[in-house]
Amino acid sequence: MGKIKVASVWCEGCSGCHMSFLDMDERLVELINKGLEINATPITDLKIPDEGTDIGIIEGAVATDHHEEEVKMMRERCKIIVALGDCAVFGGIPTMRNYIPREELLERGYITTESTVDGKIPTSPEIGKHLPKTKAVNEVIKVDLYVPGCPPSADAIYYVLKEVLEGRIPKLEGELLKYE
Amino acid sequence: MENIKIKVNGNEVEVSPGKTVLQVLKDLGIHVPVLCHYEPLMPQGSCRLCVVEDRGVLKTACTTPVEPNMDIKTDTPNVINSRKLVLQLLFSERNHYCMYCEVTGECELQDLGYEFGLDHFEFPTYERRFPVDNTHDFIMMDHNRCVLCRRCVRVCSEVAGHFVLGEMERGIDTMIIADMDVPLGNSSCVSCGLCAQVCPTGAIIDKRSSYLGREVQSEIIYSNCDMCPVGCGMEIYKKQGANFIVKIYGDWNSDVSHGLLCKVGRYLSLYDEKDRVVGIKLKDDFGYRRLHEDNLIEIFKNKLNNAVAYVDGSLFNEEIEMIKEIFKDKVYSLYPNNSPIPTNINLSELDNKEFYVVINADLNREYGAVGSIVKRNVIGKKAKLMVIDKEFNSLAKIADYVFNIKDPNLAMDILKKQKEVVVIYKDITEEEKNLLSSLNNAKFLHLPKETNSIGLQKYDIKHEKVEAENVFIFGKNLEGIKDLPIQNSFVVVFTPYEDEVLRRADLIVGITNGFEREGSFYNLEGKKLKKEKVLKPDFDVLDLKSFLSTVLGKTEKVF
Ligand code: SF4
Ligand code: SF4
Ligand code: SF4
Ligand code: SF4
Ligand code: FES
Repeated sequence: MGKIKVASVWCEGCSGCHMSFLDMDERLVELINKGLEINATPITDLKIPDEGTDIGIIEGAVATDHHEEEVKMMRERCKIIVALGDCAVFGGIPTMRNYIPREELLERGYITTESTVDGKIPTSPEIGKHLPKTKAVNEVIKVDLYVPGCPPSADAIYYVLKEVLEGRIPKLEGELLKYE
Repeated sequence: MENIKIKVNGNEVEVSPGKTVLQVLKDLGIHVPVLCHYEPLMPQGSCRLCVVEDRGVLKTACTTPVEPNMDIKTDTPNVINSRKLVLQLLFSERNHYCMYCEVTGECELQDLGYEFGLDHFEFPTYERRFPVDNTHDFIMMDHNRCVLCRRCVRVCSEVAGHFVLGEMERGIDTMIIADMDVPLGNSSCVSCGLCAQVCPTGAIIDKRSSYLGREVQSEIIYSNCDMCPVGCGMEIYKKQGANFIVKIYGDWNSDVSHGLLCKVGRYLSLYDEKDRVVGIKLKDDFGYRRLHEDNLIEIFKNKLNNAVAYVDGSLFNEEIEMIKEIFKDKVYSLYPNNSPIPTNINLSELDNKEFYVVINADLNREYGAVGSIVKRNVIGKKAKLMVIDKEFNSLAKIADYVFNIKDPNLAMDILKKQKEVVVIYKDITEEEKNLLSSLNNAKFLHLPKETNSIGLQKYDIKHEKVEAENVFIFGKNLEGIKDLPIQNSFVVVFTPYEDEVLRRADLIVGITNGFEREGSFYNLEGKKLKKEKVLKPDFDVLDLKSFLSTVLGKTEKVF
């Protein structure tokens, strides 16, 4: 079997899903022996996936214009897009802010918090701008596989990658399909 | 009626007419997902999860009666896709992000999501924010989790009889409301908790049980409520390996209450905050001193000469029997316990009557389960209601006739004209008793004051005040001690709760209570019911039943 190139990004998430990925432990070695090649990921600290990457894994919801660019680039460069975890799949915890106007939210976060002195809302162009609404990844690009869970179990991630490596389309069921 | 022939998934079956497609499929062991459907409630066919195909047409199994020549298919792509679409719509209409939800892990909507392999939302969600109503003492309503199945509305009317919940607006704008859209805490809700029990999602949750644990982590114990003489069937969820109760549900299979419970049984029995009597305390010149358990039996036996016992209706049959054995029939009741007119109707027969008379009992506040039965017939089925009370009675506002006790003749004239009346009464005078007894079209249900009043009657324990050198009192409600002729007696009290009048006692013994003790009692219908022991006492208290059997030499060890 040839190599299967995997890239991943971390948008509006907590990194828990990547932790769960690492939680596959020695099974990661097994997958690598089977042909999994880990390319641009927060783990390898490379940001731009190669063209023609086979699997693009996205952790986190789409909350800012930067996230939007990132997931669009993933879509362009990867054959199969996997939404990993509740934030990417459903929008998850970051969607909490959808019910509060953006200005009010930033004001509260950066200025009126009890512990803040001389607060200021950051304006650097390096920081992404909040979209009007935090979205699940499938509201922005087409997603091929969904792995819900907060975070999804290492078992679920292992199952999905193994199935893809062996040329099947994974379908999560039973203990592997969890919304929390 | 003759059986009819239909086809189910290609096989011919004979079924009895009058059944719904859902019932037939269930009998055949074919699983059909449901959401709005709930067994004791009228089916309404609104969620469309139970759809099946009949000759190419999708029909809701829960509301469609079987007809000859039906050709039912339960697993065609049309059926499965239609159910999946409904689920997708349900998940995205409001906020069903399970991570935050109190019922995740035992939610019927979530289970359906898993069953159909739903692994993402197909429609944009979290578009609207719905209110959360936290004004009620015992339940919280989070409209963000509501799937508009109307189980709560139906159970509150059809079963609980309170007609508090309803709905407003239409379509996806529908909101479940209390009364004329007031906060639940300000509404006419009587806190029976049935709506929270039947809600399939996290839209109505029981505040106390929140986050205490899941049903799968609980041991289920079936018991009867002993907070009043109704004795409703309880399904008690006790956390496995722990000493606390997660929640209490009404038991649909109880042949007393058929699922009903009231605020007292479901909630107040778990919120007991009264001070407990701890240990064994003997009065001496300096006040009370704690006595060792071993000394108690000795003192107890020494004082049995020239002794009488008083009991109240909180005692179980087993305890009463042993007290009778020990005190050689010198046992008296602290309170009157007779039924002026004997009960001749049971709770299961109480529905579907045309005329109810309620005397001196506010059934919204006490005997809640009886109140539910009366109200669901009066409000739901237009039965007539007459309320006779010396005091304010909240049932008066739904009554057709309200009488003050002073004009009995007018009431009697109306009652005599009825085909049949059911008289549900608490305290009545001798004169009222005579009047009512003269009705030959009446059934009577007496509401005794104490849980086991009927038990005391059966054991022939009379309410008398007798003097004796040593007086033993057993019970929960000690009010009656004040009227006893005990000025010169040595007074021993076995009781669970601290009370002012205990100052009069020479020896005080703290005993088990509520879910810490087991035993049987006779409810108001005269049915013998069992209360189970669910918890270990948190205090140093004595179990009366074991103590008495040790005194009688029946068991070795008491503590
Ligand atoms: S009600 Fe059920 S489906 Fe909805 S969020 Fe709660 S657990 Fe999830
Ligand atoms: S607690 Fe009982 S009375 Fe109150 S709304 Fe729910 S079902 Fe109705
Ligand atoms: S509150 Fe619960 S029971 Fe009532 S309609 Fe909503 S989901 Fe159904
Ligand atoms: S009606 Fe009586 S027995 Fe039933 S729950 Fe209420 S207090 Fe308990
Ligand atoms: S269960 Fe039949 S329509 Fe809801």
